[in-house]
Amino acid sequence: MNAFDAIVIGAGTNGLTCAALLAQQGMAVVVVEAHEQIGGLARAHEFHPGYRSAGVLHDTTVVRPWVVDQLSLVHHGLQLRPTKPDVLALGAPGESLLLAGDRLRTAGEIAKVSERDADAFLEYRAYLDRLRPVLSQFFDRQPLDLIDTGMGDLWAMFRQGLSLRKLGKKGALELARLMPMCVGDWLDEWFETDLLKAALALPAVAGTFTGPRSPGTNANLLLHEAAAGTGGVVAGAPALVRALEKSARANGTSIRNGIEVKRLLTDGGCVEGVELVDGEELRAPLVVSSADPKTTLLELLPAGTLPRSTEEALVSWRTRGTTGIVLLALDRKPVFTCAPDKNIAYAQTGGHILDIERAFDAVKYRQVAAKPVLEIEVPTVERPNLAPEGHAVVAVRVHFVPHTHDSGWSEQQRSTLGDQVVAELGQHLENLADTIVAREVMTPADLETSYGTTGGHIHHGEHALDQLLVRPAPGCQRYTTPLEGLFLCGAGSHPGGGLTCAPGGLAATAIART
Amino acid sequence: MVAINPFNPAHPDYPGRPDKPSRSSYDAIVIGGGHNGLVAAAYLARAGRSVLVLEKRPVLGGAAVSEEVFPGFTFSVCSYVVSLFRPHIVRELELAKHGFELIPLECSFTPQPDGDALVRWADSARTRQEISRFSRKDAEIYPEFGLAMSKLSQFAKAIIDNPAPDPNAIRPREIAKLLRLGKIMQDFDGDTRHLNLKLMTSSAVDFLDQWFESEVLKSPMSVSGIIGTFLGVRSPGTAYVLLHHYMGEIDGAYRAWGFARGGTGGVSLACARSARSFGAEILTCAGVSQVNLGPDGRACGVVLENGDVINARTVVSAVDPRRTFFGLVGKQNLDDEFATQISRYKLRGSSGKVNLALDRFPDFTARPGDGPHVRGDIAIAPSIDYLERAYDQAKYGDFSERPYLNVVIPSLSDPSVAPPGKHVMSIFVQYAPYEIKEGPEFWPQRREAFGDAVIDTLSEYCPGLKDSILHRQVITPWDLEQEYGLGEGNIFHGELSVEQLLFLRPAAGWANYKTPVPGLWMCASGTHPGGGVMGAPGELAAKTLLRSGEL
Repeated sequence: MNAFDAIVIGAGTNGLTCAALLAQQGMAVVVVEAHEQIGGLARAHEFHPGYRSAGVLHDTTVVRPWVVDQLSLVHHGLQLRPTKPDVLALGAPGESLLLAGDRLRTAGEIAKVSERDADAFLEYRAYLDRLRPVLSQFFDRQPLDLIDTGMGDLWAMFRQGLSLRKLGKKGALELARLMPMCVGDWLDEWFETDLLKAALALPAVAGTFTGPRSPGTNANLLLHEAAAGTGGVVAGAPALVRALEKSARANGTSIRNGIEVKRLLTDGGCVEGVELVDGEELRAPLVVSSADPKTTLLELLPAGTLPRSTEEALVSWRTRGTTGIVLLALDRKPVFTCAPDKNIAYAQTGGHILDIERAFDAVKYRQVAAKPVLEIEVPTVERPNLAPEGHAVVAVRVHFVPHTHDSGWSEQQRSTLGDQVVAELGQHLENLADTIVAREVMTPADLETSYGTTGGHIHHGEHALDQLLVRPAPGCQRYTTPLEGLFLCGAGSHPGGGLTCAPGGLAATAIART
Repeated sequence: MVAINPFNPAHPDYPGRPDKPSRSSYDAIVIGGGHNGLVAAAYLARAGRSVLVLEKRPVLGGAAVSEEVFPGFTFSVCSYVVSLFRPHIVRELELAKHGFELIPLECSFTPQPDGDALVRWADSARTRQEISRFSRKDAEIYPEFGLAMSKLSQFAKAIIDNPAPDPNAIRPREIAKLLRLGKIMQDFDGDTRHLNLKLMTSSAVDFLDQWFESEVLKSPMSVSGIIGTFLGVRSPGTAYVLLHHYMGEIDGAYRAWGFARGGTGGVSLACARSARSFGAEILTCAGVSQVNLGPDGRACGVVLENGDVINARTVVSAVDPRRTFFGLVGKQNLDDEFATQISRYKLRGSSGKVNLALDRFPDFTARPGDGPHVRGDIAIAPSIDYLERAYDQAKYGDFSERPYLNVVIPSLSDPSVAPPGKHVMSIFVQYAPYEIKEGPEFWPQRREAFGDAVIDTLSEYCPGLKDSILHRQVITPWDLEQEYGLGEGNIFHGELSVEQLLFLRPAAGWANYKTPVPGLWMCASGTHPGGGVMGAPGELAAKTLLRSGEL
């Protein structure tokens, strides 16, 4: 007799979302998390005594409102910001552009460099607003099965085809033109200011194995913009994790952290539970994994369990992580030289589309660019308690960093990367070097070990058209797997990575239907 | 006296003349005597219409041209191999009767820097032996790959042999087209469908990585995905062009690539003779300066560079979309929306050409001596990183110091193109971006440096090359534009990127050869199904025009 109806592997945002929703339906659910702390890529951790990071993933503006509602996360302490946080785009030393949460303010900022772009920006935003209702369906609906297409899929395609009509005949064709484009070309059609174009392009390529000149990156931009519908979560990703945990527990979910799953227990074509590293066996008719597809289906399952074609598809599933993390503990608040009076919480470098492209070039040759592109977060602005009184934490996501370094990731290589980032950052922060108390450098290889994502990929798998349309593999596209009772609910499933909570939420719906 | 080269316009049988038109008005005027213009002209004439073809240069063929560049040495100056020329066009236009003949390329030879080499033969068993020296696993899977690709090529063929489907149209004809494609997909098994999806979206390298491990094999295979485009082998969307190697049909039978006898110009001249046999009139040295619009805004003829005016019921343009609309029609005659669409249409030439006259056979270190291995194409593509580095330089406005090269020596299989014992070598070069940092107009200053980079690169594999060069012709993207009329030197009349294919080529809503200017049609590579010596755009345009009842 099973103690549980369902076992969820991994207590990241998707695992917790799925667990909470299953528990809400009255199931007895246990979540098994390998790490001492829950949260996965969203978990905060103490990288130096008294200094805590804010998680690898930071963009909470993409969290799906329907997940927030269904799990009454607000009741569980989640606070949504009224508007998106400001982001300071940094160009050449001294050059910057404030992308404000409020578009009119942003237009005002842009107008200082280009009147033309200021007007274009408002049109650009308005155009994205028109696309959002169509594109956001991607994050809020069950995925289509484009491989084993049934009547249901054809009907769904037809309906979604009709919803395209909202954009008008021309609008639909225009969308077909935009999706395969490279983000650089599209932004060139809108704007003339390099810093603005670079700033808008970065989210389209961050975390991927593509540069702004790579075809298809515009689809990432449009999907990202469609998803980013809220102002984000006050106190960021860790706050989202806390609310999800509360909601899950309130629904009776038990969470066991600090214990790793060794393998999945199967009998014939069925999953029966999991075996933990300490030898303990948990049994349940339902196992839902938020680990990445390669880990779940190629490592936790005995070889030969899967059909050959599914296994081959998973082997060629691309998970080349390209994001590094540098965490800095500072003994005072950082001051941005180009905005000394402002309390900047978010900033990014990359003054020109081609700067980002050059940063990407290096990773193709398994090297780090001379000038990596940085996404900078100062979590202590909103959460001073992450550092001692008056001190600060600066968390930097570094693009692009190879998972496998041409000459191997040595301590030497790692600290060179750290120095590079500090040097780059030092161009924009007042005497940064002297204020650093401690730093931690994580390469994709390190992310792989500490977060258990294959290739250290922060999206559990490349965001490219082929891997977004069939995610992760034929036979596993709807959160199901070839094994009865085994389901996927992580970023490796539709609609992909980021703090949307959508894979977890949609997986729960799919499971409820079976 | 020496016999005149049949590709010399002075030859008595040359199908084009620098004459005056025989009449003042025609059913159709075709602007541009490239292979697509000539195919379109032939189909229109075959249907009994009076047709006039106007070619700016003294020679016919556009970019599919043979010219005796140096005395005794005839070159396929631009396009140098033929793969996808549609067999039904050969039949319908009786091109064989008019001298159309292809000599198949038997293999693809890839010398390596370390002195080793891989040769892929038409005969798969032989190819596997070659591959197994680098990877047994790859050798085993190679035939399986070929099989899968041939299966997928049915899908691609259905696409290039029909006008682009119009997703917005509710006409039965269009729906039938979509259903036909749907049917092909439905007949595929799940794996093939997944493969098809990846083929249409992923990069050549990512696609090949699913199959093969050896870079010696993958690198030369991947380049077919980037020829003529401003993309790298790791750029998404480059995989589908791999299919072309499995779609090539020469005299019906499957063969990848071939030379036209006498060079690629042979294809164009065959089309020209066919057009003439159906009654079309073909003028050379007849550059068009403007498309004439009547008071009702309808295209009613053209003005030649010499000022002559010729009238026609329809004008069919075989020049690239940008030149057609901004050069010949004029922005002021287009509505803003369409003008914007055309200004966003990307041309971006990325390749150049070096043609050499050699006084002896060039020895390759990897496999010295003459032999079947040098009678196919010779690819300098030693590794994926090499190809990507070549691309990266182009992105920032330089030509590649170490470019990808595709070399052919047609004189080995077709002695008619060079004096006895001597040879012609044609080298396709990528990357040579039209937009170099200094600006495209500075290409003439960099032309020789570009030529040297190519010769230096090839000499690493072919040490005796420099000493055997009698003459060299270097063609930059700037030259392709100025001399051959290819906008921004793009050999396909526009980037073959997904957002410029099918119902989006050259512009959404205008992908069916018709244009917003009544009476003006398009028939060349800037329309579906795009570039290459296929003849398909010319054929489909002519058939669509005839069906429209406008003519």
